[in-house]
Amino acid sequence: MGIGNVGTSDAALVRRVQTGDTGAYADLVARYRDRLGRYALHMLGNREDAEEVLQDAFVRAYRSLARCDDPERFGAWLYGILVNRCRTAGARAARRARRFVHDPAALETAPLAGPDGRADWDDAVRWALARLPSESREAFLLKHVEELEYEDMARLTGAGVSALKMRVKRAREQLQAMLKEAERV
Amino acid sequence: MDDVIERIARHLRRPVQIDPALDGRVMREITALPTPGGAAALGKAWGWLTRPHQLTLTPLGGLAVAAALAFVVLLSRMDSTSPARSQAESHAFQFVLVAPRATHVELVGDFNDWDATRTPMRRTGREALWTVVVPLMPGRYHYAFFVDGSRWLADPSAPAARDEDYGEPSSVLTVGGGS
Repeated sequence: MGIGNVGTSDAALVRRVQTGDTGAYADLVARYRDRLGRYALHMLGNREDAEEVLQDAFVRAYRSLARCDDPERFGAWLYGILVNRCRTAGARAARRARRFVHDPAALETAPLAGPDGRADWDDAVRWALARLPSESREAFLLKHVEELEYEDMARLTGAGVSALKMRVKRAREQLQAMLKEAERV
Repeated sequence: MDDVIERIARHLRRPVQIDPALDGRVMREITALPTPGGAAALGKAWGWLTRPHQLTLTPLGGLAVAAALAFVVLLSRMDSTSPARSQAESHAFQFVLVAPRATHVELVGDFNDWDATRTPMRRTGREALWTVVVPLMPGRYHYAFFVDGSRWLADPSAPAARDEDYGEPSSVLTVGGGS
């Protein structure tokens, strides 16, 4: 599964929107809502934030639709907008969080609370995912959840293939360590 | 791939359901925006598309389909193609109804003699956004949505009117001559 083959009639819908058929955009929103929502939800770890970012991405995409050079690849183009919006929202959330951290160095070295014995696998995965650095989380999700090729990931993120491979590798190692630890609790 | 990673990935690949109401929120936002591509890109049938302008946005009444929304959007002013019509230009209005449970919807009003066969609305998207674009000359129109051949839905926040012929609630849309 890639991002280039989602919906064979994307181009037709895009062209209809560009010629004034606003309603056609609803088809595109419905087509991509859940899949992009999944990425945003996993990336931000919060449904409310994810839906806000998703809505923002759809509206921004509509505004910029004239700049969608290849309507056949509308899905990939939209994905790129969402990835950027998630980065911005993530950075904003991180800044918010820092307001409450008086000693970042101490907090970084302090043991973090893990999922307790009652937590199920879903809690454990979300907990571990949230602890990954955002770049690693982004790369892991794009590679292993959205199942994109590294070349597509490079186009979306602006990072080089080698850097992305390294981020994915680190993410896998960290997740393995955290989840194995969680399973022992 | 390592078993743990494969298990994580499989878990995260499960479908996620995003609130379908997001579709309506997006559509409401974009109806206030200019059409992508601008007038230069349209230059043909919609050659001089003007900035869309939302006229009404209302929840439907309690008797209506749950969670339904209706709104009307001025899309553009349409070209007058004959000298006889030069004094009264028509405007394109997009009527939108969100009715997730409807199977078919028609727009009825003074502009189509309340004939439910003349202006069927088109369903777009899985969440049943029903839309139709109607050119209207300046004037005052009563209109309603006719759902599944049995229910009339009016717009409670738009000026209401009771149609003398049919006795069903309807809404009023006034189309100005300028813009």
